Amino acid sequence: MFKITFRSPRPGLAVKLLIAASIPFFISCYGIKSSKGGGQLGRHMTRNPQAADVLLAPGYKIDLVTKGLTYPTACTFDDKGELYVIEGGYSYGESWTRPALIRISQNGDQKVIASGSDNGPWTGVDFYEGHFYIAEGGSKAGGKILKIAPSGKIDTLIANLPSGGDHHTNGPVVRNGFIYFSLGAATNSGVVGPDNAHYGWLKRKPTFHDIPCQDIILAGVNFDSEHALDKSAGSVTTGAYSPYGKPSAPNQRISGSIPCTGAVMRISVGGTKPEVVAWGYRNPFGLRFSPDGNLFVTENAYDERGSRPIWGAGDILWQVKPGTWYGFPDFSGDMLLAGDIEFKAPGSPMVQSVLKEHPNKPPKPAAILEVHSSSSGFDFANAAFGFAGEAFIAQFGDMAPDVGKTLAPVGFKLVRVDPASGVIRDFAINKGKRNGPASALGNGGLERPVSVKFNEAGDELYVVDFGIVQMSKKGPHPQEKTGVIWKITKTQP
Amino acid sequence: MNRKTLLITFVLAGFLTACAMRRSEPAKQKMFEPATSQIANGEKIFMAKCQKCHPGGEAGLGIGLNPVPAPKFLKRFQIRHGLGVMPAFKKEEITRQELHDITSYMSAWKHY
Repeated sequence: MFKITFRSPRPGLAVKLLIAASIPFFISCYGIKSSKGGGQLGRHMTRNPQAADVLLAPGYKIDLVTKGLTYPTACTFDDKGELYVIEGGYSYGESWTRPALIRISQNGDQKVIASGSDNGPWTGVDFYEGHFYIAEGGSKAGGKILKIAPSGKIDTLIANLPSGGDHHTNGPVVRNGFIYFSLGAATNSGVVGPDNAHYGWLKRKPTFHDIPCQDIILAGVNFDSEHALDKSAGSVTTGAYSPYGKPSAPNQRISGSIPCTGAVMRISVGGTKPEVVAWGYRNPFGLRFSPDGNLFVTENAYDERGSRPIWGAGDILWQVKPGTWYGFPDFSGDMLLAGDIEFKAPGSPMVQSVLKEHPNKPPKPAAILEVHSSSSGFDFANAAFGFAGEAFIAQFGDMAPDVGKTLAPVGFKLVRVDPASGVIRDFAINKGKRNGPASALGNGGLERPVSVKFNEAGDELYVVDFGIVQMSKKGPHPQEKTGVIWKITKTQP
Repeated sequence: MNRKTLLITFVLAGFLTACAMRRSEPAKQKMFEPATSQIANGEKIFMAKCQKCHPGGEAGLGIGLNPVPAPKFLKRFQIRHGLGVMPAFKKEEITRQELHDITSYMSAWKHY
């Protein structure tokens, strides 16, 4: 049975208004509703992309550029304006394929320029002074930053980045001789737990855990769980920033080291030594410089899973201020998780801080996006496209029920965000009575947009659509050869 | 509440939750321009406090708000006092004026 709980400081008044509030009350019985994530509702495992099934803000049109890609994650342009896309080579659901850099001709034909190993996902690509720079996620052998010549020759600039947990090595963007990239956290909220075994990586890397960029002091909060790797072993106790099954102690110091997890870092184009730009992120997936030269990132926020579930944490668009700590694993945006009922998962205890001291109070986010929307790759518009200075963000869409429950599909669209005001408006959505991926709606629209990129002139917006990833209690079920590239242009001056 | 009233409430609630009522510029094929500074401010506050669970007033982590016919005072009551899994927003988080701005924005968004 569900439990009704008033959080009013004046319960007497709340009771008096109970009858008047009956309609919103009955609608808001969260506990008795089943999860309806976009991947859960999917009925179609094949794809027939149709631009007519996508609705855009007035004055724009969308066209299909190419289809049949496997797990595409990002695109870029060379110095001749030719379009290149990367296939990731890995999808959640433990599906490995061969990552590749592919040139897309104007008629949509695909030609492989270079391909990698089964250490994906390749999560991002940028072109700078005659070469492609790619972030290799590192699901098996650690993250890397690759430099690829137009001939297809691959050089590894940096390797053994501590990726391979829940999140990967992301980016990069190259600016003024520096390659900026990011590493996602190993875990959901700082603690290795059964959810990491469910994801698959804990079996491969049983001692892997989060690494801070600077020394931290733990509060000594520990978490019990059934042993996810050995059912006969009973329960285990695990602390934050510790290997699975190793408890932490109050005032325990964890030494920081570089490279670290949950951070934005950079190396020089000719160098190999990483330096921290900012840290304390969960999964900073998208990186872009704004027209006025400021670095922004999108952060995929906490899920309701694992030993330390967090509820109601929205994805975030951050402006990166060098040297700043951004709150992982004790804040959501600039709000402290501990003791705040807003972040308490139903049926779980109130969240406690795992750090005894926080390096700084996180700054105010540029925007707070939808919980579980997987707000990922983005780019800034200029006057040629309209909405100059706004960030166009691709929302991959929820991964419910793995990430927690949603009452309706979240994401699966493009939004535009004004970083100055934090106002978010839909820009590209699917036709239909409700939101969701094309595979759930039964049409040919957007599936899982994962990144966007403007061309050099800024009058064409290219959308990388990862393809079908359906969800069940067993986890994600990605479908190869369902990824597509879309192009959005203005129809009015 | 007698059985008849309870039944009507349940039927009405089921009907209302079935109405998706999408509200966005692509769905409406019309741009949303806040008519007053109060509505514009309400939109900013909504984005900071409400959007993450009720994107564009549609369902997400939380319920859809666009189909809810409750009057503004009731919405302000629910924001201030919380209900079920929805947290209460105290005066330190959302001022009385901001509360009015939010409901003005919600009304304008619902009917634009």
